[in-house]
Amino acid sequence: MQRTRPAALGAAALSLGIVLAGCGSGSSSGSGDTNTITVAYQRTAQFTQLDAVLKKAASEYEAANPGKKVKLTAIEAEQDQYFTKLALMNRSPSTAPDVIYEDSFQVRSDAAAGYLAPIDEQLAGWSDWSQFDDVAKQAGLGDDKKTYGVSMGTDTRALFYNKDIFEKAGLPTDWQPKTWDDVLSAARTIKQKAPGVTPINVYAGKAAGEATSMQGFEMLLYGTDSTLYDDSSQKWVTGSQGFKDTLGFYQTIFGEKLAPALDVALDATVGSRVATEMLPKGELAIALDGSWLPGQWIEGDNAWKGWEDTIGFAPMPTQNGQAPGSVSMSGGWLLSVGANAKDKNAAFDFIKVALNRENSLKYDTENSQIAVRKDVASDDAYTSYNPSFEFFSSLVPTTNFRPATPDYSQISGNIQVAAESVATGSATPDEAAKTYDEGLVGIVGQDKVQGG
Amino acid sequence: MSTALAPAPSRRDRGGPGRGAATGGRRTLLRLLPLAPGVVLMGIFLVGPIGYALYGSLTNAALSGYRAVAPEFVGLDNYTQLFTSGQFWKSVWLTLVFVVGSAIVGQNVLGMALALLVRNGPKRLGSVVSSLVVTAWVLPEIVAAFTLYAFFATDGTLNEMLGWLGLDGPTWLITFPLLTVILANVWRGTAFSMMVYSAALAEVPPDLTEAAEIDGAGWWQRFTRITLPMVRRAIATNMMLTTLQTLGVFTLIWVMTGGGPGTQSSTLPILAFQQAFKFAQVGYGTAIATVTLMVGALFAVVYVKVLKPEVDS
Amino acid sequence: MTTPTTTPSPTAAVPVPPAATRPPRRPRVSPAAPSRTKGPRLAAGLALVVVGVAFLVPLAWILLASVNPSATVSVSVPEEPTLQNYRDVLTPELTFRPLLNSLVVSGATAVIVVLVATLSAYPLSRYRMRFNRAFLHTILFGSCLPITAVMVPVYALFVTLGLLDSVPGTVLFLSATALPMAVWMTKNFMDSVPVSIEEAAWVDGASSMQALWRVVVPLMRPGMAVVFIFVFTQAWGNFFVPFVLLLDPAKQPAAVSIYTFFGTNGAVAYGQLAAFSVLYSLPVLVLYLVVQRLGGGSFALAGSVKG
Repeated sequence: MQRTRPAALGAAALSLGIVLAGCGSGSSSGSGDTNTITVAYQRTAQFTQLDAVLKKAASEYEAANPGKKVKLTAIEAEQDQYFTKLALMNRSPSTAPDVIYEDSFQVRSDAAAGYLAPIDEQLAGWSDWSQFDDVAKQAGLGDDKKTYGVSMGTDTRALFYNKDIFEKAGLPTDWQPKTWDDVLSAARTIKQKAPGVTPINVYAGKAAGEATSMQGFEMLLYGTDSTLYDDSSQKWVTGSQGFKDTLGFYQTIFGEKLAPALDVALDATVGSRVATEMLPKGELAIALDGSWLPGQWIEGDNAWKGWEDTIGFAPMPTQNGQAPGSVSMSGGWLLSVGANAKDKNAAFDFIKVALNRENSLKYDTENSQIAVRKDVASDDAYTSYNPSFEFFSSLVPTTNFRPATPDYSQISGNIQVAAESVATGSATPDEAAKTYDEGLVGIVGQDKVQGG
Repeated sequence: MSTALAPAPSRRDRGGPGRGAATGGRRTLLRLLPLAPGVVLMGIFLVGPIGYALYGSLTNAALSGYRAVAPEFVGLDNYTQLFTSGQFWKSVWLTLVFVVGSAIVGQNVLGMALALLVRNGPKRLGSVVSSLVVTAWVLPEIVAAFTLYAFFATDGTLNEMLGWLGLDGPTWLITFPLLTVILANVWRGTAFSMMVYSAALAEVPPDLTEAAEIDGAGWWQRFTRITLPMVRRAIATNMMLTTLQTLGVFTLIWVMTGGGPGTQSSTLPILAFQQAFKFAQVGYGTAIATVTLMVGALFAVVYVKVLKPEVDS
Repeated sequence: MTTPTTTPSPTAAVPVPPAATRPPRRPRVSPAAPSRTKGPRLAAGLALVVVGVAFLVPLAWILLASVNPSATVSVSVPEEPTLQNYRDVLTPELTFRPLLNSLVVSGATAVIVVLVATLSAYPLSRYRMRFNRAFLHTILFGSCLPITAVMVPVYALFVTLGLLDSVPGTVLFLSATALPMAVWMTKNFMDSVPVSIEEAAWVDGASSMQALWRVVVPLMRPGMAVVFIFVFTQAWGNFFVPFVLLLDPAKQPAAVSIYTFFGTNGAVAYGQLAAFSVLYSLPVLVLYLVVQRLGGGSFALAGSVKG
């Protein structure tokens, strides 16, 4: 009898601990329950528009589907951390969400990883799908040509500039630079004539994540004669002059102190600071940034009265003014169904509610998205909401998309490393480009690259 | 485990209940039974990850993309890549500087100095200061990290104070990231060394130093010739412990600099985390973690050797 | 004898500000040389002041910023101290839930560790077997490994085991990492309980386990409390483990939520960050004082698995 005691005690100790732990763990995780749809998305102090739309959609969906519940899991993190957390969640079936707020560049990668479910069948039965334009339909495609997400809107990128500062510096308030040099000389003038103002922000830090790759680096690179990825040969480009010139641009603005100080530029919150502090407070003259910025100035905590009188827009010029004269990048986010969703139809039904005409309109206006639903884009309520829509929509014809390969997300990380190393002066453009090339070959293999 | 069992433990038995109730082997097993929960827990959650690290580092597992579904066994590729990567060696160097600077030199020297000062200085002041030092150590690491981030920030307290002296402080976290995290780790960890050394100093018989003092030895001579040799074992073990603690420091650096700018403060734990979770290369990140673990294990072995007599006593 | 009194073993860091409990055993100043000691004493005082300020200033920032309505990263005395920052963060979502999560995770971890460590320590302390030595060596070795450095494989393992985002899973992992040190400490405490006391119980026919719970445990309660607090504090302050293993914001402990808070609001709300830091740090500071009360200088607390 006595001999069994120790083991029994040990087991009791363990189970007590488990029980204790279990008590407080609260709601059960993820997709265990078929009647609960878990939705993973991003929310920050500055980015609350999605939260608002999803909350609205959740109550609408629950009202229309008695017995079903929507569990909103807001991940409070800046973008880069959001991707990390999302990847951590997706990796395990027990934690993978049913509906995922997914950046378009992650779609191929996550589809290839088996994290996302194809939704072609469900789309075929959704009459609204015909309202989505081709760009939106492209954005959701995986490598296998199946569709893995419904686009919430797209975006473009361009130069924002503060007309008050420009006036003070004696620069034209209808500024339209034609080359990189035009941009640089304006920045230099500001540095001289408007001391205390940061002349220009181009995202350069790893912590800013995809913003550095897309709003920063690629907005420059796609305006050179080089590219990142050759679509026709399906190979990545190494050793291109454009790549080095782009890094050279970084070297110039950081070397001449035209850019923000490094402690700001390399901080994860730099994006929020540009949008909610530096531009509104007149601390920054030129910002290379995304079309969604004005959304938060129109309404909400960061509302900025009279922003449209202060902020001017200009397309980002190509390097030497070569055709087509200006450049933009487009991305956008989607709602996808997780591959481990217990009830994929229910998950899709939720997406249908979240992105119906009314909710798309709400999201696209409040978050300054370029509408991808034709019925929203042509709606007066949309076109009249935000005076910047016209400008940013006009950039669509010359816009570019990121390479749609599963490797892009990793390569994007290497781009950020290259940009940051040049911005901090720890590498020359040539050195950083060489490091990038080595990293690239490591990721995709020697047979998937070509010289530029 | 059973291979480690002694053949005939009963002879050295101190005695216990149920003597002679069972024969040697069985009784030993029964006696070891209370160890079972601990062994199981540590087996799954300590040995498990270590084994998994060894295996995972031989694959090209990724967080996303095709290699997330079907990681391939790539043999020693990760290690080959690692050992030929400039970034890895830079990280090794940064880790070394961080450990030597903050643990071996910083915490140990300051810890010893504080122990001596508190012992020999004004009593009340000493107790206030040591309470402050210990508070810094008791604070949750992430709170300490924020606190020091604020202290070293460009507009932070340190630069403000330098401003009072008419000095224009640098952007500490950007210009001297490694130095800053070293100072931060000294701030946070010195209490441990201070307490170890205080305990050790209390064991030094006062008559020895007294005798030396009467012989005319100065305090420095007394310290180096009498006190230091007396506490050298304490120094050895403390150095080893602080080294091992410092090797695993993640939160402090992660919060203060994120390993940057660039990779100028990316020690091995930061590098492993970034490779695995930012660049999605789990296999590669695991290889870095494994190397760090090996370095730790090496120190641990030395440490166990140093302490061996005590275990065996 | 237990190790702490002779040499600093891994458990030999006395958790007590030395001057408070360890007054010099005799007047230090030798009558033979009164003139030589005054200078050094003054110098020591000065040095202490310098070090003290260096440690005080960052700590003062947390306290002052937490009552400052317009706190920045720089330390300053607020003109109009306010509790508004505390009021702002004292919401279920920002403070209560994360603190409750911390309490559950740390409490469960500490309970498991104390029970398991006490069980494990018994055979190690009471029977002389060659196995013990090997086991203790392994334990010592395990307590040294920089486990935080291997969070990547731990994450991968948790994915495989389906334990990701599971509070019990995280608790068990934290328990396992704390166990080596806890077993070592508990064994030392148990060694100091004389076997002779148990012998009476054996004579009465008690089993070893009965002897352990009825005789040994009551005698080493302060020691077990120390181990409990030690483990609890470690788990309470741990950021990296829950950061990687707990993904649902509703389950995350304070260490992770404070990071989120800093990441997304930090640039604007230093006062709230500081207020939250104070609330989050208070429990461990109090526990630390308890440890001091409990043990004077007679027992050990180590931080070798900190972080």
